[in-house]
Amino acid sequence: MRTSLNNIKKIDDYLLGCMAPEETFLFQADMLLNTSLAKDVAQQDYTYGLIKQYSRKKIKAEIIAAQEKLNAEPEYQDLIRRIANLFKKL
Amino acid sequence: MMAESNKTFLTVEMREAFFIALYKKAFSSVARYVAKMGGTLDEAQDIFQDTLVIYYEKIISANAETIVNEQAYLLGIAKKLWLQHYKKSMLSQPLNDFDIQADTDVQHASHKILHYLETAGRRCMDLLQAFYFDNLPVAKLAGRFGYSGVHSATVAKYKCLEKVRESVKQNLLNYADFIE
Repeated sequence: MRTSLNNIKKIDDYLLGCMAPEETFLFQADMLLNTSLAKDVAQQDYTYGLIKQYSRKKIKAEIIAAQEKLNAEPEYQDLIRRIANLFKKL
Repeated sequence: MMAESNKTFLTVEMREAFFIALYKKAFSSVARYVAKMGGTLDEAQDIFQDTLVIYYEKIISANAETIVNEQAYLLGIAKKLWLQHYKKSMLSQPLNDFDIQADTDVQHASHKILHYLETAGRRCMDLLQAFYFDNLPVAKLAGRFGYSGVHSATVAKYKCLEKVRESVKQNLLNYADFIE
């Protein structure tokens, strides 16, 4: 892999806790001395947050699609009616 | 009923069958609880959808524990989400205007990047989702995304991570508080 990808991998190992303790210690020391590395780590960490947001949004869309499919099943109609009745105000 | 721990879903269809089974099993008890608490059917559906997202994350995680009573577990998550939803609607606005502005700026930037990635970088995001969120092993990920082997899939994953990180860098350059 090219150098930039190896750096990404190293940060990945650090953020996911896959680095050996001695290597972690050296990496943290390097971050204190090298602000550019510290920025890369912060941006990669933020990137994982975005991946999580993207994934949750997609999974929720799949769940809504599954619910719609179920709502269209004839044998489920009676249960849907009973559930809807729970919310009818007296 | 006992749920398997550390499940793997290789396809959307497998997940769909899983979610439908959970709806049949647990939605009525969650709806009954939300109705009892004065909520609407739309709120019950929204709470249940979020419950399933949380449950999905839980069971695909590498250190997933075995869940003995799936229905009770789902109801437990839904109750917590309902309380959060209720508290959120009762909360007063924070007093510190500066904090509100800073949060809004970063949230706006995140929204912008996410929108860009959803359109221009979908294949990369799907690959990253499969690895970091769905926890698919690299060998299975390689097969699903058409890579020749584990090495090619691993390199592709890091290339995608680099691409997304670059978008983050470009879009968050103006927010000094992001890295401070």
